[in-house]
Amino acid sequence: MIAYLTAIVTLVGVRALLTLGLNVQWGLTGLVNLGVVAFFAVGAYTSALLAVGGVSLLLAWPAGVVLAAAAGAGLSVVALRLREDYLAIVTLGFAEVLRLFLLNEAWLTRGANGITAIPRPLHERFGDHYQLFYLVLVLLAVALVYAALERVRRSPFGRVLRAIREDEVVAAVAGKPVFRFKVQAFALGAGVAGLAGVLFAHYLEYVEPNMFLPQESLFVWLALILGGSGNNRGALLGSLVLLGLLEGSRFVKDMIPFLTGVRLAAAQQILVGVVLVVMMVRRPEGLLPEKPGSE
Amino acid sequence: MPPIAQYVFNGIVTGGILALPAVAFSLLWRLLRFPNFAVSTYLTVGAYAALVLNADAHAPLEVAWLGALGATGVVALVADRVAFRPMRARRPFSLAIASIGVAFVLENVVRFVWGNDFRAYDLPVTRAASVAGLRVGREQLMILGVVVVLMALAQAFLLRTRLGIAMRATADNPLLAAVKGVPTDRVIAVATFGGGALAGAAGVFLGLDASIDPLMGGGIIISVFAAAILGGIGSAPGAFAGAMIVGIVEEAGTLLVPPTYKTAIGFAIILAVLLVRPSGLAGSRA
Repeated sequence: MIAYLTAIVTLVGVRALLTLGLNVQWGLTGLVNLGVVAFFAVGAYTSALLAVGGVSLLLAWPAGVVLAAAAGAGLSVVALRLREDYLAIVTLGFAEVLRLFLLNEAWLTRGANGITAIPRPLHERFGDHYQLFYLVLVLLAVALVYAALERVRRSPFGRVLRAIREDEVVAAVAGKPVFRFKVQAFALGAGVAGLAGVLFAHYLEYVEPNMFLPQESLFVWLALILGGSGNNRGALLGSLVLLGLLEGSRFVKDMIPFLTGVRLAAAQQILVGVVLVVMMVRRPEGLLPEKPGSE
Repeated sequence: MPPIAQYVFNGIVTGGILALPAVAFSLLWRLLRFPNFAVSTYLTVGAYAALVLNADAHAPLEVAWLGALGATGVVALVADRVAFRPMRARRPFSLAIASIGVAFVLENVVRFVWGNDFRAYDLPVTRAASVAGLRVGREQLMILGVVVVLMALAQAFLLRTRLGIAMRATADNPLLAAVKGVPTDRVIAVATFGGGALAGAAGVFLGLDASIDPLMGGGIIISVFAAAILGGIGSAPGAFAGAMIVGIVEEAGTLLVPPTYKTAIGFAIILAVLLVRPSGLAGSRA
């Protein structure tokens, strides 16, 4: 039971990072990223490949974060030039194409077999308590990212992002270089998703392309919308509630006998979709609404 | 290996199938001001609606096809009433997210009922004819013919009927159109039903040309977007031309890259258009 809880909370921590990253993009700045999972994958694969190639984790981990942020910057520069709604399409397409790339370019990514034996940091030192150590590591990362993003949100930079979200014409008239701010915000969010990927890969010691299906992006969206977009506490709460939804529906299986595996998975995803739409329609501010004009 | 002309012909058929949802997606985007990600899932809905009528109820495929049009139009209307209409005043991006949620629900309802297996329509097997060295299927010709007729009807509707003109007026300037007495709600309802019906029709064609499974619609979403963006958002002839180009390039592209990368070709087209000519081929104001 302890092992189960440790594992679950570690994965919630990873999801919380993804949600915090999306909150910078959508919650603060109003940028639609439908390919959250792609930046997660870039972080995971970059770090995993470097690490199994013998590169020190001290280099591999930052490389995963930096490459994810760079991918975010590049994509947003292309997509945001004309219409913002192209960003939604470009990020969705990027996630799909990246997954195809991971599946087919086996010379680099080992294809469908995935990457195994990804080294874990400080494995020898903690021995039997390793799971606990990693949980603390992930929670520490969440706490640090949360604190940093709270600072960002209250900073002049964060105020500009929220101004852009509310009315970018006004922000532009006030002399803010809107395009540059948007690209920076998008890259920052992508970098946080990359960090989540790094922690995920080295926790499982294994990654493969089907861990990065499009529905994972939707789960992150649901967590953010549930918790309340625009505020970082909401992002954390949403990740927890999402866990309840996903894990809880797993237990339902034992109660309803005629649910086959496919049906159960489909029902779970219907639930996720319905909750997302209902929240968007009925309570777009989420469970923990952003305080108006908050600092 | 078949000649290049064969790839081009197959590409024209694929392009014809893509054209229907691309036109629907493009016009709905212009009218309602958000990219509706559920449009490609409407293909799946149409394909399964026809499957029920054809394989389960033993209706001829022509009848099943008509039924699929109606059923998908109704599903699109219901999605609009339940999810999109209450959000009309919201930021367009919120609607885009909600449409992803709708697509996800629809796809999984199909999966829940019919499972993940590949299905096919109940049809007599026909031999492909050979025309000037090309393999030409009877269904392929039928698909192309129907697509051309549907496109002509859609264009005539937009240009010649009162409702079609009202639709274009609303797309241009909803406030002005409403002030001038255009029944905005009715216009949107007709466009939503029509868009759903077009996508549903394409779903049956896709099921005929390839196979029927829950991911079939979602699998071509990038190609549909590429066609609409290439054609210029809001232009029906543009989306048609865009779909033809995307279809042909994707099929012919398999000569150069593995077929698994078809989606990547569509994505490359999107990036190229955004970098080189962001307003699309038709160049309408985006």
